[in-house]
Amino acid sequence: MTTTQNTARVGLFFLLGLALIWVSYETLGDGNALKKRGYNLVAGFDNLKELKAGDDVRMAGVRIGMVESTRLAGQRAEAVLRIDPTVKIAGDAKAIIASAGLLGTNYIAVDLGSTSAAPLAAGAEIRTQASPDLNTIMTQLGDLGGKLESALGSISSVMGGKEGEPGLFQRLDTLIAENSAKVDATMSNLQEITTKVNRGEGTLGKLINDPQLHDDLLASVGELKVAAGDARNFMSEAQTLVAQVKSGQGTLGTLIYDDQAGNDIKAVAANLRELSDKLAKGEGTLGKLITDDSLIREVQGTLRKADRALDGMGDSGPITAVGVVAGALF
Amino acid sequence: MKPILAVLEGIGDTVLLLVRTLRHASSLPRQLPRFIDQCYQIGYATLPIVAILSFFIGGVLALQAGYSMSNFGAKEFIGSLVGLSMARALGPVMVAVLVAGRVGSAITAELASMKVYQEVDALVTMNIPPERILVLPRLAAVLVMMPVLAIIANLVGWFGGALVAHTVDFIALEPDKYFETLRRYTKFDDIADGIIKAEVFGFVVVLVCCSIGLRTRGGPREIGASVTKAVVTSLILILVLDYFLTKALL
Repeated sequence: MTTTQNTARVGLFFLLGLALIWVSYETLGDGNALKKRGYNLVAGFDNLKELKAGDDVRMAGVRIGMVESTRLAGQRAEAVLRIDPTVKIAGDAKAIIASAGLLGTNYIAVDLGSTSAAPLAAGAEIRTQASPDLNTIMTQLGDLGGKLESALGSISSVMGGKEGEPGLFQRLDTLIAENSAKVDATMSNLQEITTKVNRGEGTLGKLINDPQLHDDLLASVGELKVAAGDARNFMSEAQTLVAQVKSGQGTLGTLIYDDQAGNDIKAVAANLRELSDKLAKGEGTLGKLITDDSLIREVQGTLRKADRALDGMGDSGPITAVGVVAGALF
Repeated sequence: MKPILAVLEGIGDTVLLLVRTLRHASSLPRQLPRFIDQCYQIGYATLPIVAILSFFIGGVLALQAGYSMSNFGAKEFIGSLVGLSMARALGPVMVAVLVAGRVGSAITAELASMKVYQEVDALVTMNIPPERILVLPRLAAVLVMMPVLAIIANLVGWFGGALVAHTVDFIALEPDKYFETLRRYTKFDDIADGIIKAEVFGFVVVLVCCSIGLRTRGGPREIGASVTKAVVTSLILILVLDYFLTKALL
């Protein structure tokens, strides 16, 4: 092996090493720094969070560039973005700092914007929007935890009671302890009742358990249906009758709707009233019969005479009936 | 007291050796053949064992990570774990260990032999500084070769991990997904940090091995002792420096 060969090998080996270092630099590092491809945009944020140089810039999830540098600019932080020259970003597109995972890898997410807006020129500032980070969410969760704690404290003070006073549970406990005998009795009664009901004893039990009752109920319902049918027939007949009456047919219709009949009835009533007046005044034969007492007295006197005559017949022997009657009457 | 003094003497001697060597840095272009020869020994000849070792280290990493991470549905992150582990820690450390074992031991053995057999003294007598022709080409060569070895170790380890993650039944991770997470979480800075570490490790290993070799006194038995001492010291320094460098570079 000659010295020349060794020299060539060492030279090749060294060049190989340089090439590998360059490849690594291009692949892993911001290898484009030397080429300066693309155009720059500035994105201003209140807080850049974990964003650092070399992080991705993605539009709708597609990598379109990288964060070239981060810097403080007055009261805000700025990220200088280098965007692929083939990608145009709409003027109204917004950039937010998004998190790629829980391991703290952040990137800038740019939305598509509208197609009508003019694309951003090199060096322009892209609109940004603050996004809540994990710390903010954790702070809010902490506040929520505090509120929950105070709410639970209130509940526990209600449950546990104030100083020296029994709490809700203690009161419930006392209530149950004091009334346990009654509750037991009530429960045993309930058990007894349900047992009876289950056995079919009593009205409720029969109602629930007796099939005969069910059949009777069905029969009653059937009868009710029949009765309803009869009632319907009756009503239809009654309607027919009322219609006939309204049309003046029959006696009742004539009586109600015929004026002549009404007048006749009125005349009859007037005659009856006149007759009764005469009777009351004792006019006429019937009136006298009703109002004059002398007739009844005469009848009574006659009857008494007849009675005495009969008595005399009994005392005087065989007298003819005509003689007795004549003697009594004269 | 004596061991402490020995350690301090070794540190001082190594620092002075480095200073004396850097003083002759300008003579490096005139020693190109020696430099190329050392590059060949340190880099090219070490490549096969580095590749084999890195491949299996990446595979073991993927296997172990897959076994652990598939329990909670995070096996797609095997790529990032293997990528970062190889680039930042295991790649440089394993390359440095191999260089210490294969190259460092050879350097110490060679220099210790030259010292024991008075070749170094002969150079000094001829007014040729031994640091100039024995240490400088080796330090320069290791500085040039270590990044190459480290990047090759990284890449071979990544591919080893991808192969294992794809072929092992209970992991069955698609290479696309493996390299997607690897690319997402491994940055070039991680590779650069690994290369810096490899440079420091390689430089320290060669310097310490040269220093221990040139300080050898006695006969053949001491040559073996020096080699053992050089390798052990190199390994300890690699791991200690690894901690501090990792902390400094994070």
